[in-house]
Amino acid sequence: MSDPAVQDALSAAEPVLEVTGLHRAFGSVRAVDDVSFTLARGGSLGIVGESGSGKTTTARIVVGLERADSGRVLVCGRDRAGHGGRAGHGRAERLRRAREVQMVFQDPFLSLDPRTTVGGVLRETLRLHFPGDRAGHERRTGELLDQVGLGSREAGALPRQLSGGQRQRVAIARALAVEPTVLVLDEAVAALDVSVQAQILNLLADIREQTGIGYLFITHDLGVVRCVTDDVIVMRNGRIVEAGPTVGVLADPQHPYTRLLLDSVPRPGWDPRQIAEARRAL
Amino acid sequence: MNEGPMREGPMSEGPMNPVLDIRGLRLHLPKTARPVLDGVDLTVAERETVALVGESGSGKTLTSRSVLRLLPPGATTEGVVDVQGESVLTMDPARLRRLRTHTAAMVFQDPRAAINPLRRIGDFLTESLRLNADLPAADADRRAGELLEAVGLSGRALRQYPGQLSGGMLQRVMIAAALMGDPVLILADEPTTALDVTTQAEVVALLGDLRERFGTGLLFVTHDLGLAAAISDRVYVMYAGRIAETGPAEALFNRPRHPYTAALLASTPRLDAPPGRLAAIDGRPPSLQEELTGCPFAPRCAFATQVCTEEMPPPLPVRGEPNRLVACHHSDRLADQLAGRTVHE
Repeated sequence: MSDPAVQDALSAAEPVLEVTGLHRAFGSVRAVDDVSFTLARGGSLGIVGESGSGKTTTARIVVGLERADSGRVLVCGRDRAGHGGRAGHGRAERLRRAREVQMVFQDPFLSLDPRTTVGGVLRETLRLHFPGDRAGHERRTGELLDQVGLGSREAGALPRQLSGGQRQRVAIARALAVEPTVLVLDEAVAALDVSVQAQILNLLADIREQTGIGYLFITHDLGVVRCVTDDVIVMRNGRIVEAGPTVGVLADPQHPYTRLLLDSVPRPGWDPRQIAEARRAL
Repeated sequence: MNEGPMREGPMSEGPMNPVLDIRGLRLHLPKTARPVLDGVDLTVAERETVALVGESGSGKTLTSRSVLRLLPPGATTEGVVDVQGESVLTMDPARLRRLRTHTAAMVFQDPRAAINPLRRIGDFLTESLRLNADLPAADADRRAGELLEAVGLSGRALRQYPGQLSGGMLQRVMIAAALMGDPVLILADEPTTALDVTTQAEVVALLGDLRERFGTGLLFVTHDLGLAAAISDRVYVMYAGRIAETGPAEALFNRPRHPYTAALLASTPRLDAPPGRLAAIDGRPPSLQEELTGCPFAPRCAFATQVCTEEMPPPLPVRGEPNRLVACHHSDRLADQLAGRTVHE
């Protein structure tokens, strides 16, 4: 099933993530309403929207933390959403799915176990997914820490002894430990200070260059989208209102909502009153 | 916008008629090696919007909270915090209460955390006036209704519970609550950070309208230099408990004179910046356990020399630029380089 030869055979142009006709309703609210997109191998796709746009629900369905009412999520051609489908619920299947897609959450203060050291977090993940080979795990732990710019001093530290930026580096290292094909980042830099945020954004760019991993980048920040994505989709009330290459969408937005989002970014000479009016008109 | 009265004053530094005047504020916390605030000077004039920008731990929130004497346990202070000429740090409890209900008001970052979910909006708005027996209940209710309309909500919200309102609407309620006592100064601590970008624009527009209508001074605390430049008359940039640089918003944004301001601008993922890697600032701010001898930014500064690690740079005026102070040993020498780092062709 998870034959590496099959994966290698996939050409670089073929999408690693293919989402078609995703629907999810919570009561009468259509949180995700007919959402489709693809992520190329080693590509980076941004999902932009405000609260209630459905961007986080979409991400959670892709990761497997949320169930879709209908629609398909294919990773490397394999079905993943599995609503009443054949996707297994057994441990082996679950672990396999986890190896395909990993997630980095917004708040590095909540996403790490406060009682486990940094090295412990990584070793635990490696033990779970690649049992045996204890010596290999030690070596791999060192590599992962190095990859995210942490040293042996941080390996022995507990999360509370680290800064927000360092914690987010640990969360990224943990996600990379299983060598996923797709990394879903849900507002992963939103809680960080600007100077630290820039370090993490640069780190993510380096990792993508080195490993060919694909990013699904959920954010409300258009500056961040411009910085780390190739393509972008703009969501509003569960639907995609605009999609395309990031540079084009930001330079020449077609949908009035995308234009409103762009105008809302504060800059000198900014006119918040006009934006408030445009928002009411929309 | 309202730069007239501020610029024409006979004083070369700082605006006239400050409603808020902070001079040499130092704040020590127990079990720390250095003061959390280390000689902060800051003024806000009538009708003026002043932004205080910094990253977490810079002391920007403590500075704004000290204006209402909302200090952490065990804190000791030196220096002066005057609101309308009255010394906040030394006033007796009765006057302090009066200050907090009438003279200055705070709008916090997360409205849901600052409002009792079990009480109606109307009760929340009139609570402080009723407790201080300033107004008969009926008058307080009427004023609450008027202010809700002033912030763009209907009087119907008086009967509603916080859970029935969105985040943006609740932040409007918080602003209305701040206006209840008819303050001369509003302190807003990241009031739009928890809101969506389009909602942020609405709340900022509202704060601008209210300033014109009620003549209040506004101290806007934020981590977002772009937002600060967009909305304020003057900006203070804070780093490690000190003011690194202050000046008119536009000048500071277009021609930063402190390496930290320039680095902060360069590391922000802006829509008009060149594509590619961001100029991240290596390292992180000094912890409170580290004693500082020289400039607190020196270990992360690309331009630091020996003098930077040995002597703390005092805030000095910039030649030819009124209202501009920079605390950097090399500010004059670096002027062109710093501007070059952030202006992209």
